[in-house]
Amino acid sequence: MVAITRSLSPALAGERLNAILLAAALGIGLLFVSGFAPVVALHNAAHDWRHAHNFPCH
Amino acid sequence: MTKRLLAAALVAGFLAACVASLLQFALTSPLILAAEKYETAALEAPSRAFANPLIVLAHAGHGHGGEAEWQPAPGLPRLAFTALATLVSGVGYALLLGAVLVATGREVTSSEALRFGIGGFLAASLAPAIGLPPELPGMAAAALESRQLWWLATALATAIGLYLVAIRRGAVAVALGLALIVAPHAWGAPHGPEEISAMPPVYAAQFSARSLAVAFAFWAVLGLAFGWAWEAVAGREGAAARPGAAV
Repeated sequence: MVAITRSLSPALAGERLNAILLAAALGIGLLFVSGFAPVVALHNAAHDWRHAHNFPCH
Repeated sequence: MTKRLLAAALVAGFLAACVASLLQFALTSPLILAAEKYETAALEAPSRAFANPLIVLAHAGHGHGGEAEWQPAPGLPRLAFTALATLVSGVGYALLLGAVLVATGREVTSSEALRFGIGGFLAASLAPAIGLPPELPGMAAAALESRQLWWLATALATAIGLYLVAIRRGAVAVALGLALIVAPHAWGAPHGPEEISAMPPVYAAQFSARSLAVAFAFWAVLGLAFGWAWEAVAGREGAAARPGAAV
């Protein structure tokens, strides 16, 4: 029982860390595209969202 | 864990985007369209050049004089792209919310996720709005990069500050957290010129209040839905893993 607990904990910690890093990277990527990307077409597509949610626009 | 986090973020982002899109169409989009009429009129008038090159009129140079850049057609396409941007951002914010929730190691429930959602509202909506009030098209503002940098620094400092004050709670942590929350405002946001606009001031006032109200609803739904979806996904995974067991 003790051996199982010891072998499970590090695996869970590693999986948890992976989940956190993946979610954070994806989240930052999506927010960059919708809120900050300077590409004019992206800016124009997300224009009203950026204004409504107070992202610096233009 | 990874699948559960991604699935819960997708569900929460979608639900928050549905609510926020409807509110935006009803509350903020009409004001943006009204402001653009004044902005177009101002851009066509010749006497609006600023002496300071760091200060640009919002929208100046967009589709005027040069080739027109792509933009969604007015009406339904524009609303659809706004909803799409809301969905992309909703999932993005939900992923960050989930990452922070899991990283703090707290049990994820609807009420806990709602608390973190309100924290997200304070960090990403309310704190930046103190220095950079929600802006309508056509309002003069400082250079874009300086505002984006201040916005990001403020959101990050407020988020870390809230974590120190609300979760760490030691005397040193609270002092450091409060200092982090106040610091961006003591430093000061980049400001544009105080110019007189033809746009009725009631538009700008309404837009500020409505924008923050929409943001609050967005974050509240995002938090609640994330906690709910997190528990729902676990229920399904548990049922699939133990087909014979009573759920």
